[in-house]
Amino acid sequence: MEPLAANGGIKLFIPETYDIVWSLIILVILGCFFYKFFLPKFQSIFDERSAKIEGGIKKAKEAQESADQAKKKYEDQLSQARVDASKIRDDARSEASRIISDARTRAEGEAAQITATAQRSIESQQQQAMVSLKGDVGSLAAALAGKILGAKLEDEDTQSKVLDQLIDDMAEKTHEG
Amino acid sequence: MVQPSGAVLVAAENGPELPSIRDFLPDPILFQGTPFAINRIIFVRLLAMVIILLVLGITASRAKLIPSRWQGAVEWVLDFVRDSVVYQVMGELRGRRYVPMITTIFLTVLVFNLCGVIPGMNIAATATITMPLVFALWTLAQYLVTGIREQGLWPYLKQELFPAGVPWPLYIILTPIQFLELLVIKPVSLTIRLFANMVAGHLLVAVSLAFAQYYIIVVSNKWLALAGVSWFGLGFALTAFEMFVAALQAYIFAILSTVYINQSFPEED
Repeated sequence: MEPLAANGGIKLFIPETYDIVWSLIILVILGCFFYKFFLPKFQSIFDERSAKIEGGIKKAKEAQESADQAKKKYEDQLSQARVDASKIRDDARSEASRIISDARTRAEGEAAQITATAQRSIESQQQQAMVSLKGDVGSLAAALAGKILGAKLEDEDTQSKVLDQLIDDMAEKTHEG
Repeated sequence: MVQPSGAVLVAAENGPELPSIRDFLPDPILFQGTPFAINRIIFVRLLAMVIILLVLGITASRAKLIPSRWQGAVEWVLDFVRDSVVYQVMGELRGRRYVPMITTIFLTVLVFNLCGVIPGMNIAATATITMPLVFALWTLAQYLVTGIREQGLWPYLKQELFPAGVPWPLYIILTPIQFLELLVIKPVSLTIRLFANMVAGHLLVAVSLAFAQYYIIVVSNKWLALAGVSWFGLGFALTAFEMFVAALQAYIFAILSTVYINQSFPEED
């Protein structure tokens, strides 16, 4: 190996003109490439990507919000419906109790009326029965009295005959019985 | 004079083709003597430039909203430079403006460094002092412009040359040092760090492989062939290490450029 110093090692640290020229040319070309094309291109990709992601997040947020709103609306409606339902139930219950009490009142009235009618009818029938019984008893008593009195009025014999006949009748009835 | 034995004679005559600094000072092969002369390293650099333009150009022109695997990988690198280098050092507000510059530096230096391990190229495109120097001068210009734009020329120079909170007699030594640091040390350290890493990497790999080639192929001795295999293993490991160094130096160059630019902003109290 050649000794470095002997061969002018210092030369290593002295730029050659053509080397400077080419280094600058290459750096300028690469700089232009990176500054004007490569990095803007990737920057636009990055921006577009983050815009997409942000748009997606925003959209999801909006969807979430509208879903929340819809949920709230439905819940409100549901609770309103519950209130309505319970109101309707209460109304129905009071209506029903009113109907029942009405019906009971009416039934009681009718029952009382029926009872009264029946009472009256029984009374009138009783009256009739009494009247008719009175009539019968009277005629019967008159007949009987007539019979008794009639026979007594005719004679003693007849009286005894009647008595005998009565006894016979009774005996016959007893025998027949 | 003792006559050397056969094997040693072969060794003495051919010897391993060890690398030298000539590798970094190749003779021009095209347009010799003009300012547009092209030597081997510049040719490699042009090739690397074409590769970058083609590969990244096609990637960008086919870039889609939903990335393919390759596009995802490129985007990962872009995200890395933006978030882990620029924004982490100077924050998003300041950093936004410098993302293109740092990305350009990082990707270019990375690909140029990797040329050192690409078969056929075998030399980093950053392996002359000029290319790292040009990057460093770009950084220098950027941080001077930033300082003047953000603070105005005098407040900026005052902040840099006369740091606050120092007793005034110290300025006699401090100000020249600060001046040197601002205009010379920062760019030169950027340049030499990258350049020396590439030179050293190339020498290490080339020495290992030269010995491997010499011991395995040129010298017909199976014991020495064993040594050659060890040299080859070392060369293999150093090549892998070079890939790591290529990425590391690109990262260091990018992050130091960012730090230097960030220092041009007014100091927050």
